[in-house]
Amino acid sequence: MMAGIQPNKADRDGFLPIRTNGFDRGFISVVILILVHLLWMRFLEGLLPLWVATVLCLALAVFIIRKG
Amino acid sequence: MRRSGITSFILWVCLTILTLLPVWWMLVVSMRPRVKLYSKSVLIDDLYWDNFLAVLNSSTFLQYLWNSMVVATSNAALVCALGLLAAFGLSRFKISGGDNVFFWLITNRMAPPAVFLLPLFLLFTKWFVFGDFMLFDTKIGLILLYCVFNLPFAIWLLKGMLDGIPLELDEAARVDGATTGQVLSHVILPLARPGLAVTFILTWIFAWNEYLFAATLTSSAGARTVTTALAEYVSVTGTNWGEMAAMAFLTTLPALVVLGFVQKHIVTGLTFGALKG
Amino acid sequence: MRQSNIGWLFLAPATLILFVVGFLPFIYILYVGFFDWNTNAVDPTLRWAGLQNYRSLVFDTTFLNSLARTLVFAFFVVISELLLGYILARALMADRLWGRQFFRTIHTLPIVVAPIAVGATWRLLCVPGFGIVPYYLKLWFGIDYNISTNAYHAFGTAIIMDLWHWTPFVTLSLMAGLTALPKEPLEQAQIDGGNKLQIFWYVIVPMLKPVLLTTVFIRLMDALRSVDEIWMLTKGGPAEATRFIGLHIWINVFPKTDYGYGAAMSLLTLYVTIVLSWLLFVAMTGRKGGAQ
Repeated sequence: MMAGIQPNKADRDGFLPIRTNGFDRGFISVVILILVHLLWMRFLEGLLPLWVATVLCLALAVFIIRKG
Repeated sequence: MRRSGITSFILWVCLTILTLLPVWWMLVVSMRPRVKLYSKSVLIDDLYWDNFLAVLNSSTFLQYLWNSMVVATSNAALVCALGLLAAFGLSRFKISGGDNVFFWLITNRMAPPAVFLLPLFLLFTKWFVFGDFMLFDTKIGLILLYCVFNLPFAIWLLKGMLDGIPLELDEAARVDGATTGQVLSHVILPLARPGLAVTFILTWIFAWNEYLFAATLTSSAGARTVTTALAEYVSVTGTNWGEMAAMAFLTTLPALVVLGFVQKHIVTGLTFGALKG
Repeated sequence: MRQSNIGWLFLAPATLILFVVGFLPFIYILYVGFFDWNTNAVDPTLRWAGLQNYRSLVFDTTFLNSLARTLVFAFFVVISELLLGYILARALMADRLWGRQFFRTIHTLPIVVAPIAVGATWRLLCVPGFGIVPYYLKLWFGIDYNISTNAYHAFGTAIIMDLWHWTPFVTLSLMAGLTALPKEPLEQAQIDGGNKLQIFWYVIVPMLKPVLLTTVFIRLMDALRSVDEIWMLTKGGPAEATRFIGLHIWINVFPKTDYGYGAAMSLLTLYVTIVLSWLLFVAMTGRKGGAQ
């Protein structure tokens, strides 16, 4: 399992602390999106509506996928 | 290093006792009549088989035992056949996106079963319904379901073994005019036989041991397995420890039988070949 | 290596089955999680609920506590098993060990025993009034050990049971890793005058890192999903002291038939599992990047 997943040509170094490929960056974006939404619902939804979180996360996702 | 040898020996003797103690206690309890049940001695005082006889005379338990046999054997056979085909495909052909498919196949084993209970329950009761037949509460349902964790396991184990069979043998057979199917049946299959045996036994044990899916996705004596019998027994009669121990021992028995045979391969299997035992 | 289309043909049956029993359920709960669906309610059909299930879930303290409890359990179990397993692996590799094969075989036994039988066995050992463990602890050490009233005892017993069940696996895999280590760096370090602790920390651990991470990965995934043993041992009690997340889902969703909420619960658990395993996987493949 370990040997099969070697870094290949599509991988690159961005601002993220690990070498990533397109799938990794998409995955990280989705993970962050879900996490932020859950925390937002728990702590912030009384103050700011949820779509703010969505907008913020999508912006972050674009940034991660482009530059990560 | 003589001293270290003796320390290790003592350590391992103690450890062996600790490992065996729970199993031994189970055996002791299963051989005690009701009146002696609360004795705290850890020795078997006489051979008393009534607990085993009581369990084995219960027709429900025998039915469950039969179900477990059918489910485990069919599942292991299915998994070995499909696993061999898949491993052959992965090992002998260049498949575009093969690595990703392989990775996805393997992740299936890591998924927590409790998470999939609900969707599987709903699919089995509401979707896979053909006329009067529904997959819920059938042996076929369990046989298919156990592929979730057994098939990735088998594919990995078998792929490792097929990768070890030299490609030259295939090529030689092909030069002699063998088709792909003949290569598989006449070259690969005979050489993979020991590997298949190990895979069969291990997947059989895993299918036999499974509880959560069996408990949730079956409801009648027609499909429930030994592990659910044990769990049911505990909730029905909390205090008949002798029979419960006998039942637990019977559930453990297959594992005890194959232990010596599988112990060399179990680490390789459980770590998906990352480590050779 | 031959052309790919025939290869797919061989792969197809396995892929098809895993698609049906592995992938379809995932898509299905993803869908159900956004609905309000309770077959025992006045309206037993699916009604669109948006994120409402998840909204209640992040305020559900029973669920969150159970999740946290599972993580604590997994942490303790994995750490202790690594330590114990390492010591035992070294002991099993001692130069002169009489009966090595015998010990190894006996040690493998717990791995293949059905989890449900493990739970039943430990229940026989530990149940108050019947088992020998409470009896002898009281007799020899004067400890009042009771897994059905004392939350700490129950939690501790769950950990010890898991140690019994899975330390053998860690021992065997670490042993496989240790046997495969090259000898030269170790000898070199000894010549250079490193003491045992230094050799362990600076030579063995780095070389063993892939094996350690693989073992942690597999054990962690198993610890996060243990249900059967705990169910037999304590039924999640006393109160909720040993109700780990898998058990929580199991004993909550089915009697209540609140499928939408159950789906959300399952998905959130899956999310935590996936994130944890991905982090470990990244560490495992060692993809250090960023700073060149």
